Amino acid sequence: MIQNAAHAIADVPVQAALRDWLSAGDALVGTIAPILRHLLANDDHSVFSDEIIARVRGMMVHVATQLLDEVAAASGQPEQRNHSAKAIQTLVQGFVADAGFLNHTHALALEWQLTERLQSRLALDPVLSPLLQSLVASPEPETASLAMALLAAQARFSQTQQRMQLPLAELPGDLLHASLLVMRHCAGEDEGSQSNAASAEAVIRSRFEEGRSRLGLISRLVMGMGGGAVAALSVSHAGIGIFLSALALASGQDREMAVLATNEGQLVRLGLALCAAGLSPVAVEEEFTVIHSDASLPQGLDRLSANQAAALLACSAAFPGN
Amino acid sequence: MGDGAILARAQSDGADNLVNADEPLAGLQLRCGGELPGMIAIPALLETVRKARSYGLKLARPILANDGQDVITAWVEVEPLAAPEEGCKIILRHWQAAPLAPEDLAEAGSRRAAIDRTVAELSARLDAAQCLLAAESEASDLTELIAAMRAGTGRPWTDFVQIEGDHHRQPLHWRLLDGAVVRVPGSDRSWRATLLPQETPGSEPSGFELLLCADVPLASAALLALQGAESAQPTNTPGLVGREMATVLRQPIARIIANAETIRTRLAGPLAEEYSRYAADIAAAGQHLLALVEDISDLEVVEAEDFSTAPDRIDLADVARRAAGILGVRAQERGITIDAPKLGESLPAIAEFRRVLQVLLNLVGNAIRYSPANSQVWIRLEGEGSRSRVIVADQGPGLSADQQARVFEKFERLGRSDESGSGLGLYISRRLARAMGGELTVESAPGQGARFTLGVPADLLASAPNPAR
Repeated sequence: MIQNAAHAIADVPVQAALRDWLSAGDALVGTIAPILRHLLANDDHSVFSDEIIARVRGMMVHVATQLLDEVAAASGQPEQRNHSAKAIQTLVQGFVADAGFLNHTHALALEWQLTERLQSRLALDPVLSPLLQSLVASPEPETASLAMALLAAQARFSQTQQRMQLPLAELPGDLLHASLLVMRHCAGEDEGSQSNAASAEAVIRSRFEEGRSRLGLISRLVMGMGGGAVAALSVSHAGIGIFLSALALASGQDREMAVLATNEGQLVRLGLALCAAGLSPVAVEEEFTVIHSDASLPQGLDRLSANQAAALLACSAAFPGN
Repeated sequence: MGDGAILARAQSDGADNLVNADEPLAGLQLRCGGELPGMIAIPALLETVRKARSYGLKLARPILANDGQDVITAWVEVEPLAAPEEGCKIILRHWQAAPLAPEDLAEAGSRRAAIDRTVAELSARLDAAQCLLAAESEASDLTELIAAMRAGTGRPWTDFVQIEGDHHRQPLHWRLLDGAVVRVPGSDRSWRATLLPQETPGSEPSGFELLLCADVPLASAALLALQGAESAQPTNTPGLVGREMATVLRQPIARIIANAETIRTRLAGPLAEEYSRYAADIAAAGQHLLALVEDISDLEVVEAEDFSTAPDRIDLADVARRAAGILGVRAQERGITIDAPKLGESLPAIAEFRRVLQVLLNLVGNAIRYSPANSQVWIRLEGEGSRSRVIVADQGPGLSADQQARVFEKFERLGRSDESGSGLGLYISRRLARAMGGELTVESAPGQGARFTLGVPADLLASAPNPAR
């Protein structure tokens, strides 16, 4: 009797653990079908194409590598560039757990995919758009120098995307902060690694300046154009990077959401965002056709006012704050 | 990235209070309901500052704010100081204001109901015929009314109060009574009635919630009584242009200006110089049209019979400094120096802050517009007995006696035919001054510059030496 009871008590944690594992497995089983269906049904423009996944993973590994480089430098071994695959993987797992990080890197990968697609289809320069050209030639020295800085940043973006990389300086402040927290969390237990991680963190934080990142420069330039920002709402004139930021600003969405809106599965979202940004029906159709050469504009958009379109967008579950 | 385009600087402390701020940030902080110094009241700015401080990162991003009239997009750069408890340095670079999109009616209605329920000082339940079932209030000046209502359960609520401007047999249809201004026996305050129907889909309401909201809380009602000012809120029906037309007109005009600006700055590609200049003309004419719409809608407000202001205890020196701050950039463009009251100077007065600022912006704006380049504009203060005065003096061409007589008239432009004004500014300013129990006058001679004087009632309580201190 007594023996049996003791046996039962010892069993409980084992069973609970097994149950947990099983339910984690259930969750996976439940998602196999929809993910597989999605992967099979969509071609290369999918939000989950092999290329996109590889790019997202590449960027995360690059961020992890840069953090480890800094820790190595802080521990007095700046030439140490070979980090163990395990150390990198631990950091990457931390990034993957952060939804904001995932969204951002995914959006960058989609943006680059769109950039390459429009380059091959419309010969759109991925670095120097007509708008950027006229901003560089601006008589105002302030605007011209900002535009030059953006030109350099945009060139850097092309290069790093081709290498599937993401420099720390290009991260939005919130994500840099999140990645530093992951790094702090993953640092070794001993005092030495803790203090190395802490001093690496201090170096990274003091060096960071959000306003100098590509996305920072773009939004500052778009803001500086004032009423002229309408000119940034044309893909072929402004280029993808500036267009997406301007669209996000003008339609009140996150930039990540604006990027996602250019995907094939989000035709209505794109149409509404263009409307909400205040473009005329003709211009909406034009931009829509540039991005999707073979899809047609969703019906009824031309009857919406900018405010109505913005209100519809704001009701969407994916809108910030919903 | 030079310091070229900095619009304003500000500083926050370790608890995210705005310690000091230049215009236009300071104004936005106040319009968002904050104080200066005080907790940052602009939500997007607060979020950015908090992040910069806790992350220890230099952040730079666009912020979106809403001051009740406009949607404002601004570019801010926030740099945390060495120690987190020191707060942040804030730099503002770009600033765009666009009129707020009209709200969804149902949403606005439900929010209004929620606000009224929160601030109502009397709430009552009515039946389908608007007869009283129960009433509740804690306000001391409503005890008489509550007693009468409780004694008169079953009678229409309109028997107990006096509906202003309406002598029909009461009660009218509830939609006509919703929002009515009412007078309550035993209370000096002016009240607004709100009727919220108990909706039953497809049929008439089965009952109502009646809310009475006062236009001022009890404490400041005492202050108003002290000033002997009329406190009736404007309940005028908007005229032709009024608020509605003005809102409708603003958007397309703003669009004309934005597009013309795009052409002018050649953002859409190369363009011959002449065309760029034409576009500049279009933009300037659009700006002018926008200003006209604003003036005309102001005109209708000040000309309404029941127009009144909401007097408060203000510091004229502070208003003057703020006006100088707002117009500083425009003055600089023309090489004009504005000599505003120094920090530390003060002149207490009783007037409505917003209206005094409007008058001063008009006076200083005129002074900048009509003065020669590289001249000076002075803003001086004068307190004398029961009057507090602000004087705006310039070195412009001055006005002849005949011009002085006409300058405050409606649409008077003194023979100017350029596109820089509507001829309404001074007319509106004088109406505003008079509505606040003050006066706006001018002294000038041709070639001697002009002196405009705005006089309002002095705040004798604040300026009198207080023996208790």
